[in-house]
Amino acid sequence: MKELLDQVIKEAGRIIVGKEQTLRLALTCLLANGHLLIEDLPGVGKTTLAHTLAKLLGLQYQRIQFTSDLLPADIIGVSVYHRGEESFQFHKGPVFTQLLLADEINRATPKAQSALLEAMEERQVTADGKTRSLPQPFFVIATQNPAHQIGTFPLPESQLDRFLMRLHIGYPDEQAERILLSGEDPRHLLKQMQPCLTIQQLQNLQQQASKLHIADALLDYIQDLLKFSRQSPRFNHGLSPRAGLALINSARAWALQAGHKQVLPEDVQAVLAATVGHRLHSSGDTGIDEGPVLAQHLLQSVPLP
Amino acid sequence: MNSTTQLSRPLLYSLTLITALVVAPHFQRLNAVIILAFLAVLGLRWGTLYFSGWKPGKLVLFTITLMAAILIFTTYPLLMGLEAKVALLSLMLGLKLMECRSQRDLIVVLFLGYFTLITHFLFDQEMLLVGYVFIMVITLTALLVEASRTSPSEGWHFKSLRYSGAMIVQAIPIMLLLFFLFPRISGPLWNLGVDNSTGRTGLSDSITPGDISNLIRSRAVAFRVDFDETAPPPQQRYWRGPVLWNTDGYRWTRTRYLQTEPVSYRSDAPPISYQVTLEPSPNDWLYALDLPETLPSEATLLPDFQIKAKNIRNRRHRYAVTSRLSYHTGSLNERERGLGLQLPDNITPRMRDLVRQWRSQNTSDLALVNQSLRYFRSEPYYYTLTPPLLGNNPVDQFLFDSRRGFCEHYATSFTSLMRIAGIPARVVTGYQGGELNPLGNYLIVRQSDAHAWSEVWLEESGWTRVDPTAAVAPERIEQTFDFDLEENSILGIPVIFSTGNSGLLKDLTHQFRLGIDAANASWHRWVLGYSKEQQQKLMQQLGLGNLNAMKLAIAMILAIAVMILLLLYLLRLRSEVKPDPVLKDYLTFCRRLSGKGIQRFPHEGPDDYSHRIIRKRPDLRQSVNAITQHYIRLRYGQSDSPQLRRTFHRLVRQFRA
Repeated sequence: MKELLDQVIKEAGRIIVGKEQTLRLALTCLLANGHLLIEDLPGVGKTTLAHTLAKLLGLQYQRIQFTSDLLPADIIGVSVYHRGEESFQFHKGPVFTQLLLADEINRATPKAQSALLEAMEERQVTADGKTRSLPQPFFVIATQNPAHQIGTFPLPESQLDRFLMRLHIGYPDEQAERILLSGEDPRHLLKQMQPCLTIQQLQNLQQQASKLHIADALLDYIQDLLKFSRQSPRFNHGLSPRAGLALINSARAWALQAGHKQVLPEDVQAVLAATVGHRLHSSGDTGIDEGPVLAQHLLQSVPLP
Repeated sequence: MNSTTQLSRPLLYSLTLITALVVAPHFQRLNAVIILAFLAVLGLRWGTLYFSGWKPGKLVLFTITLMAAILIFTTYPLLMGLEAKVALLSLMLGLKLMECRSQRDLIVVLFLGYFTLITHFLFDQEMLLVGYVFIMVITLTALLVEASRTSPSEGWHFKSLRYSGAMIVQAIPIMLLLFFLFPRISGPLWNLGVDNSTGRTGLSDSITPGDISNLIRSRAVAFRVDFDETAPPPQQRYWRGPVLWNTDGYRWTRTRYLQTEPVSYRSDAPPISYQVTLEPSPNDWLYALDLPETLPSEATLLPDFQIKAKNIRNRRHRYAVTSRLSYHTGSLNERERGLGLQLPDNITPRMRDLVRQWRSQNTSDLALVNQSLRYFRSEPYYYTLTPPLLGNNPVDQFLFDSRRGFCEHYATSFTSLMRIAGIPARVVTGYQGGELNPLGNYLIVRQSDAHAWSEVWLEESGWTRVDPTAAVAPERIEQTFDFDLEENSILGIPVIFSTGNSGLLKDLTHQFRLGIDAANASWHRWVLGYSKEQQQKLMQQLGLGNLNAMKLAIAMILAIAVMILLLLYLLRLRSEVKPDPVLKDYLTFCRRLSGKGIQRFPHEGPDDYSHRIIRKRPDLRQSVNAITQHYIRLRYGQSDSPQLRRTFHRLVRQFRA
């Protein structure tokens, strides 16, 4: 099973060169059945990452490009009057898919954002008074540009909280960039790519991850982390219980893909920055996102007994 | 705690019962009327609980209180003596119980109970009572715990008993500190109030036929003796008490007209040293083996080798003596000769005839003494504890008519006869024998070992002990005086001495009694005998030198403060999470590595750490991996087993960086 996942990472690594850790985290996020937010500058491969994952996991894939004039109906779908049958018929929007790439989510207005976020949380969509379930599994990979760029509506904290993880891709290192520049066109590679996993296998893996043993000692550690975030003056506010749950689920998934028989403190630490980075704010709000720094501070401040 | 909350009925039931138990040891000294009144008040309380509809009003309670007060003042006018005060306290406790309605009343009753428990020690400090008081303190505290419950309690909970027991056990260190450091007052503290007239059994300083007969019946302990080496044989255990010189033909008493000159005697026997623990007695003399040599500082040796001591009345006293068992007292001075030959008026002709007859047959005094002993042995004299009553000339009547009696009769008659013969003689009272307790290896001398014998002055050997009783009943001297008194209580029946082997049950009970006595003796010796001197000795051993009472008190307070701080610290430690052994072992492992410069970061997980170690010290790969794998399985995995723990422990112990 670890081999299976390693295979996925290896394949993805052919397209997203030199970003193994990010790939593993992204995969972990999907194994934990959570939604992923990728935040970085345009052109570092956010969309390619989402596309690659969809392809490798054999998921249905839809993409919505968020713009400032995007309406909720553009996401959910719309009922259109059918002359022949003399009735309204619902035309499913792009949200009815297994993996949805919400590109540049912070370019849309809050109204459009919230339409998607509702679907993310409930895994169902309500239109015209009728509730429709979304396909299983259902993942959202959203990308956003750094908040200080022009023409963005930053996601409110409550909505950020719904993403299990937030990842930064960052620039590739020299060696990787060289391969990237000299290699084949990634789009071409992507087309040739075959799924490594079936949907059944993916769901099995999710199941396994959720059953991985977490010792009391580790729960103590996680609680220590939460407690510290709530008590330290460095943070504006502490981590919510949902953040704690997110931490546990991510750590389990990470342990699974790392091939551990039980969740280790290292597993928690590996996912900590990605899982809590977007939930932490510095007490002296500088406007600059300090998530990774704060997460690192948290990690190093809480001793492991 | 809400003071207006109604007390639960089961709680009040137990409180009533426990109040009765708390006061119970006082019953032996309280007036029967007071006991009845106390029990009646408790009964009334019980009744009001049982018939919950009926509650005595204020008027009834007032009347009862008034009656109780009248009772106390009629039984003990002016409230003189400790007993009166204890009676008052007991009754007030019962009455307080009557009006016990709220939490506050309950606590008052309980605290009064604690106080009542202390008053027991004014009368008695025996081990048994201390045990009883201990149990009662635990029970009272349990009730206090019970009463402090915030939730309504359902009567008696075993849990609160356990809780209060734990509290008492926790208080033991403080108790010990108080015991060892509390400034001791030399002399008994309680003597101030104890009624001196309540006589305690003991030898008196005069004898009239009949006195010692009563003593023999008492199994009470007179004193206990620890010998430094082996104890002398029973025939030599003559514990010397008052020496009686004067007689009016009926009563023998001590004399005040002895010359005060330095007392000395010659002896070539090795000295025997021993410690005597004397039970409280109203007398001012000490007992020692014939004859005492060195004495404790508080005692003086009288010319007739009786030991007088100061400040020993009515309290337990422990002293060290050495004695020599064979001796020569040297020449006789005129005053002693005069006293030793003093005769009463009622010497009858037949007594003189008897002596004259002996004198004609023997020229030396020694031969005459032996002749008289032979006479007692051969003529039909019997040893009995219940001799017939004698008239106003007991010596004559005993010698020629009744011929039944015990040591006193023999000793006084013999002494009288010797004086008639012109040999200076005197009666010595004291104890003879004693039972060796193999459990504590000490000698128990009981009141039943009380004895009287004679001493005659002979040219050859000075004052010489002669025991005419031994001539009649040698078993009395050689065996412990242990026989069933009931069987021999018929008048004048000769005593049959038991030979020892008298059934398993009796043997067992005897062993048991000896065991209890041994425990009691050590209790007296180590706990009650912890005097000012012992305390000073202990302080000196601790290197604290001579502390006066003030310094001692300060030391005590300081020690207790330190102890309380220590306990608080321990309590804090306990509230913190106890490191589990696996974690402890792992930390040992980390410590060993940090000694080699590979320190674990506080937040570093075991797996990361092991990788870092192996990068730095590839030679340790195998052991570090094994330890890390075991640690992960034990701490974060599900495979916890004692065997795995042992392996892990062994791995860590064997690990050398």
